[in-house]
Amino acid sequence: MPRLLLIDAKWKGKIFLTNNLKKYLKEKNIKSIALFASVQFTNLNDFIKELEKNKIKVNITKAKRTNKNMQILGCDCDGDSFKDQIIKNSDLILYVGDGLFHPKALLLSQIKEKKESFKPVIIFDPISNKINEINKKDIDKQIQKKKRNLKMFINSKTIGILVTIKPGQQYFNSAKNLKEKLKENGKKSYIFIDNNINLSQLENYPFIHCWVNTACPRIGTDDIVNVEQPIINLKEAFNPIKALEELEN
Amino acid sequence: MYSLELEKIIQEIKKSASKQVLIQLPDGLKKGSNEIVDFIESKTNAKAFIWFGDCYGACDLPLGMDILGIDLIIQWGHNKFNKEEW
Repeated sequence: MPRLLLIDAKWKGKIFLTNNLKKYLKEKNIKSIALFASVQFTNLNDFIKELEKNKIKVNITKAKRTNKNMQILGCDCDGDSFKDQIIKNSDLILYVGDGLFHPKALLLSQIKEKKESFKPVIIFDPISNKINEINKKDIDKQIQKKKRNLKMFINSKTIGILVTIKPGQQYFNSAKNLKEKLKENGKKSYIFIDNNINLSQLENYPFIHCWVNTACPRIGTDDIVNVEQPIINLKEAFNPIKALEELEN
Repeated sequence: MYSLELEKIIQEIKKSASKQVLIQLPDGLKKGSNEIVDFIESKTNAKAFIWFGDCYGACDLPLGMDILGIDLIIQWGHNKFNKEEW
């Protein structure tokens, strides 16, 4: 393997508390926030000071797969993805960055929460200075499809387990463990290996009743919406009934 | 807009005496990949190549590069990734 150098590509501009964001937080009577950012935007010391000056408590934690406090990745999308439970203890989640992939992880991490305890995510884009709120309704399609896929998995006899060779997403041993577990439960399974998990390939294997994704967990939360074949994630496959019950709450 | 830390990469290429370098960029930075290659090749003796495909994160590194004799992979837009083992 060649040497590896990773460059954050930090945003060069200054990130400050804009009047529209200040107004939004004031109108919603926000007293505390859980603060997250993409790695390009984690230089937030001045931004945090400004929030605190406005009497807003800023709660910070470290997501499991990251190396920096506040940073969020798309795959840190489980309820147990964070060192501290700051989301429960905050009025809302403030995400600094652009795009939807990372802030949606913050919605997905609350997928087991009841509607009344679910916290919205405010996306503050420091490039355009625009703010945008996303909420549980923005992952409703994913939740419905996950429920349907789990039910289909439970009733399936032949399972396809998808494994990527991408180093950070490769769970070959877990796939083999799952195959054994499924065998004990009376299900036949086959393990499929590729680099990119291209879901258009699924139609070539009509003997598979349901698929288990062991690669990026966002395949089993986001990409499933666009495919007919049922796919669930690896963790769910070990205990699908529990996973379904948690979503039915 | 984004800090590409080009001086840092030149230092790393020289320090590691890399002869063939692969650059991997997220979609938003790909349009400037030619300028990065030109910069590397003008400042060092290394040849630089562009990863054509995806760059989802530090979890997604090009494989098989040793077959091509690539010494160094430089990926932008991500930092060290802690893989969850289970």
